Amino acid sequence: MSADLDVIERAIDIDASPETVFELLTDPAEYVKWKGRLADLDPRPGGRFHVTFKDSAVRGEYVEVVKNKRVVFTWGWEGPQAAIGPGGSTVEIDLEPRGTGTRLHLVHRGLPAAELASHTAGWDYFLPRLTDVAEGRTPPA
Amino acid sequence: MDDALRAIAEPRRRDILRLVWHEERSVGDIASHFDVTRPAISQHLRVLEDAGLVTLRRDGRRSIYRARRTALHELRAYLAAFWDAELAGLKAAAERAEREKKGTYERRPRRH
Repeated sequence: MSADLDVIERAIDIDASPETVFELLTDPAEYVKWKGRLADLDPRPGGRFHVTFKDSAVRGEYVEVVKNKRVVFTWGWEGPQAAIGPGGSTVEIDLEPRGTGTRLHLVHRGLPAAELASHTAGWDYFLPRLTDVAEGRTPPA
Repeated sequence: MDDALRAIAEPRRRDILRLVWHEERSVGDIASHFDVTRPAISQHLRVLEDAGLVTLRRDGRRSIYRARRTALHELRAYLAAFWDAELAGLKAAAERAEREKKGTYERRPRRH
């Protein structure tokens, strides 16, 4: 059960085709239109997923790429002080056609907070709050 | 919240946090679990405290720490908000690109 909780999940409806969204996630020239200064992307299993920002950089590798449907990559920040190191967590993005648009579903696994909590019996405390956040409510303090 | 992320980036500080997750412990007790000097442990505890991840209580001359577990929840919320911002950026770029594609596509027949 805790495996299901070891994640952040997000979904968003985009008024653009899965093809357009897929390009923005896998084509370096397209990627920097929404994120980062420089993207070095090699969208195939084991290929680079490097995005450089003004003062930080994300480093990972593509794990799975299904054209216009699914992109999975490892994900972490560069640097000794990075909360999540390069390749330290995994992001799964699924694209599903919805009318003329796309439903994007994102799952981020292997987060440091989850790692901490999973080493404790803290889930009884954590679970209700996690559910609140996942469902978009403000959890109690 | 960046402070908290930086604080737990260090594996030893994560170990310390686990130690004081369920029960409060003195600095000496915490230090006895590690092969590093007590001042080094105190330094880690200060970073954790500054980041709001542990609370400090004085008992006479002893400093006693325990995890502030709500802080982990805040950290998760921070990461969730991070993705919300990322995805909002992706959505805006995708919809812009789509409008441009459609604009090109729709104009084309009228030219012929």
